[in-house]
Amino acid sequence: MAAVEDRISIQLQVNGRQHQVEVAPRWTLADVLRHQIGLTGTHIGCEQGVCGACTVLLDGEPVRSCLMFAVQAQGHHVTTVEGVTPETGLSPLQESFRDHHALQCGYCTPGMLLTAQALLDRNPTADEGAVREALTGNLCRCTGYQFIVDAVLAARDQGRDE
Amino acid sequence: MAQAMRPQMMGARVSRVEDPRLLSGQARFLDDIQVPGMLEVAFVRSPHAAARIRGIHTEKAVQYPGVHAVLTHQECSVLLWERDTYKVGQPVLANGEVCYVGQPVVAIVAENRYVAEDAAELVVVEYEPVTPVLDMRESILEQPRRVHPEAENVFFHKKYATPGFDEAFAKAPHHLTASFRTNRQTAVSMEPRGTAAMVDAASGRVTVYASTQSPHRMREDISHLMEIPEHLVRVIVPEVGGGFGMKANCYPEDIVVVAAALKYKKPVKWVSDRMESLETDVHARDDIHDVEVAFDGDGKIIAIRDHLMADGGAYPAYPFSGAVGETSLASRVLTGPYDIPHLATEIHCTYSNKTPLGAYRGVWGPIASFIQEGVVDRVARHLGLDSAEVRRRNMIRPGQFPYRNAAGMVYDEGSYLQSMEEALTLIGYEGFRARQAKLREEGRYLGIGISVFVEPTAMASSEAGSVGYESCTIRIEPSGKVTAALGLGPSGQGHETTMAQIIADQLGVRFEDIVILHGDTDSAPFGGGTGGSRSGPIGGGAALVAGRQMRERLVKYAASLLEAGEEDIELGNGQAWVAGVPDRSIAIRTIAETAYTNVRKIPEGLPIGLELTARYLPKRPVTFSNGTHIAEVEVDIHTGVVEVTRYAVVNDCGTLINPTIVEGQIHGGVAQGIGSAILEALHYDEDGQLVTTSLLDYLLPESTDVPRIDVRHLETPSEGEGGIKGMGEGSLIAAPAAIVNAISDALTPFDGMVDTLPVTPPMVLQMVSGGRTR
Ligand code: FES
Ligand code: FES
Repeated sequence: MAAVEDRISIQLQVNGRQHQVEVAPRWTLADVLRHQIGLTGTHIGCEQGVCGACTVLLDGEPVRSCLMFAVQAQGHHVTTVEGVTPETGLSPLQESFRDHHALQCGYCTPGMLLTAQALLDRNPTADEGAVREALTGNLCRCTGYQFIVDAVLAARDQGRDE
Repeated sequence: MAQAMRPQMMGARVSRVEDPRLLSGQARFLDDIQVPGMLEVAFVRSPHAAARIRGIHTEKAVQYPGVHAVLTHQECSVLLWERDTYKVGQPVLANGEVCYVGQPVVAIVAENRYVAEDAAELVVVEYEPVTPVLDMRESILEQPRRVHPEAENVFFHKKYATPGFDEAFAKAPHHLTASFRTNRQTAVSMEPRGTAAMVDAASGRVTVYASTQSPHRMREDISHLMEIPEHLVRVIVPEVGGGFGMKANCYPEDIVVVAAALKYKKPVKWVSDRMESLETDVHARDDIHDVEVAFDGDGKIIAIRDHLMADGGAYPAYPFSGAVGETSLASRVLTGPYDIPHLATEIHCTYSNKTPLGAYRGVWGPIASFIQEGVVDRVARHLGLDSAEVRRRNMIRPGQFPYRNAAGMVYDEGSYLQSMEEALTLIGYEGFRARQAKLREEGRYLGIGISVFVEPTAMASSEAGSVGYESCTIRIEPSGKVTAALGLGPSGQGHETTMAQIIADQLGVRFEDIVILHGDTDSAPFGGGTGGSRSGPIGGGAALVAGRQMRERLVKYAASLLEAGEEDIELGNGQAWVAGVPDRSIAIRTIAETAYTNVRKIPEGLPIGLELTARYLPKRPVTFSNGTHIAEVEVDIHTGVVEVTRYAVVNDCGTLINPTIVEGQIHGGVAQGIGSAILEALHYDEDGQLVTTSLLDYLLPESTDVPRIDVRHLETPSEGEGGIKGMGEGSLIAAPAAIVNAISDALTPFDGMVDTLPVTPPMVLQMVSGGRTR
């Protein structure tokens, strides 16, 4: 039995690619990224806009994809964790996360990476306070944050040296 | 075999092999499992704490487009029942009554979650509410009623006293009493619970994807409860986004999902949303301790009497109740690192109309430490002594190991006093008092809190460990690369890395050439899983034993193929060679080729191939890690807000496998400890409604709530394999006590002492206004 729900066809620009998807208007961006487009790196931790696991970049700014409808993302550039991952290997920030043991279960990690990436893009000299402040919207239950902060600060320093 | 004695990977700060997939978004968590035709489940849950069900009307939901099936107790009547232990069990879908808010009543199976939730709203359940049982002390007295008519509210009762307790207690020159309360908290893994199941039409086997800590236990539970023979059930644990004890149970939803997959021959999945998880993940820490302490004028504690009470919720969580785990273990380690000769305990675990109590990291530990360290600080304050000094006077001395505590638990060697002294130095305890006094004059209230902890790990029967051993299969492939499998269920601990470190040293193969499998009952040997800080010491021990056995086999091969004595063979970097004659060498790959394909060359007495399974059961029923946490806080007496400003940890978990991973565990546990101490509380209103159902109400520590944590290691090896002790829980065991002791210390001018976890700003303000003014 098929659902009666009306679907509309929308264009989404994700990680530099155009996707034509059929969605119900109430489907969240997180669900559509995960289940229609198959980008499961974006995680869902609360659907209440609190945990930040679903963070993606919308035109470079971190947003909570659980609070947005997919239709609202039309006309914007969406970047997910898959989009900041190089074809081979890891990005400098991802490498830094690995070097500093900034992840345990890894569930919060994609959201952390995107929030941190946006911070460093915006403020390449962010200090520890600024990093902690920027990450307040991303909950991590495993790491106690210290190694995440260290990883972001080290990536910042590396960016400076380049 | 000098090489074998010189481990290179064990103890090294190796980057984790798990990380690249997690960092790039390629890891596969439960909700990432999607197969064609997969249906999704939504549950209709009880809105009442206690009610009789007068009728369930599902017609509209059944007809809703996209709905595949609707299940009630009639269609799925499994009972989560540990028959031998408890008189009651939870029906996976409510049967005639509901006993807590969030209890599953009806399951909707639909083409997707959106549709399932729509249909769930169309189900009408007629309830007749009854008075809920919500107060633990009343429940013990069977007031206002029995939760389950067929069973007494008290489902676990136990009394214990050391011989001569009463006399020793009465004769002591000083006494004090205190009542300690821990409020309900829960693990809140960032990845919620979830289960998916599908039937393999050819074999008739059911494959269950479960976000759980213990794959074999889950298979056992499903097999046992649903009466499917074990060989027809395969449990696969995908990437798990945090467990913390909470994912050690079999839950009603797990069974319903499997039942639906079997019944409708379709792949079925359910993933919890956050509200469901706060309502129905096992809760923890709902305990009261009424404590009396007897001590002498030097602060030496002579006797502790404790009445332990725990609210176990509506049903015993399956297959173990957290209330029993929290109290019975707390009662056995209540004297912590102190040499306290006398102990008397009485335990009452009761039913209530709240969510079942299960495990959350540390289980009994954060509660027992909160009490034991709170007692020490109270004694110090009572006598006007320095609290570090009182700890020194009571501490078990190095010469006393193995030490039998007043409850009969035997502690293996630890570094109790040393850990405290080093932590005091690390935080600068001496200088602190002057700083504190100076700032107090400026109206700023700093405090310091000490928490010396013991952490029983690798217990023969822990919450996740259905068995006391772990198993490890090692297979050196014909290519010389290694596949090893264990029955563990990691959820972020990095076992693929640490187990490979252990095996690399034993086999002399490169770390990169080892793959660790876990979490699939088809490939992993039977084991207890992850929980109770057993994976490092018991899982690691199994890896070590299996590695050693395989090493012996490699040495035999090398000796025979190189025509040398076994005692002269060394292994390393994928090679075996004759000691001192590196030219006389053979690649492990060549040995493997021989073992599989050139069978005539196999040395006599050795089997074909390079594959074996070893099981490891530690000789001691438990090994104790230990350490000291010291927290410094600043309390704003106008807002009641507490900031944890500095934090020092000296940790001793025996031989370290990977110090970086250990530090990560400690940081995370301290953060959770901050949550436990000042933020996290599950709150029920007077009707039994859980009012903290979002992460805006149930507050987790954020990046700005957690200070830098200064960690140092001590290494007092266990007597078990590799000298490894467990360490997953110690940081959360110690941290809440350190923080609340620091708050009490800060509030010394107001006479206050924290007796409740968590201590929230309004409670702090009350302590400030309730105490005498300076
Ligand atoms: S899932 Fe979007 S903020 Fe938590
Ligand atoms: S690494 Fe597990 S939630 Fe952050």
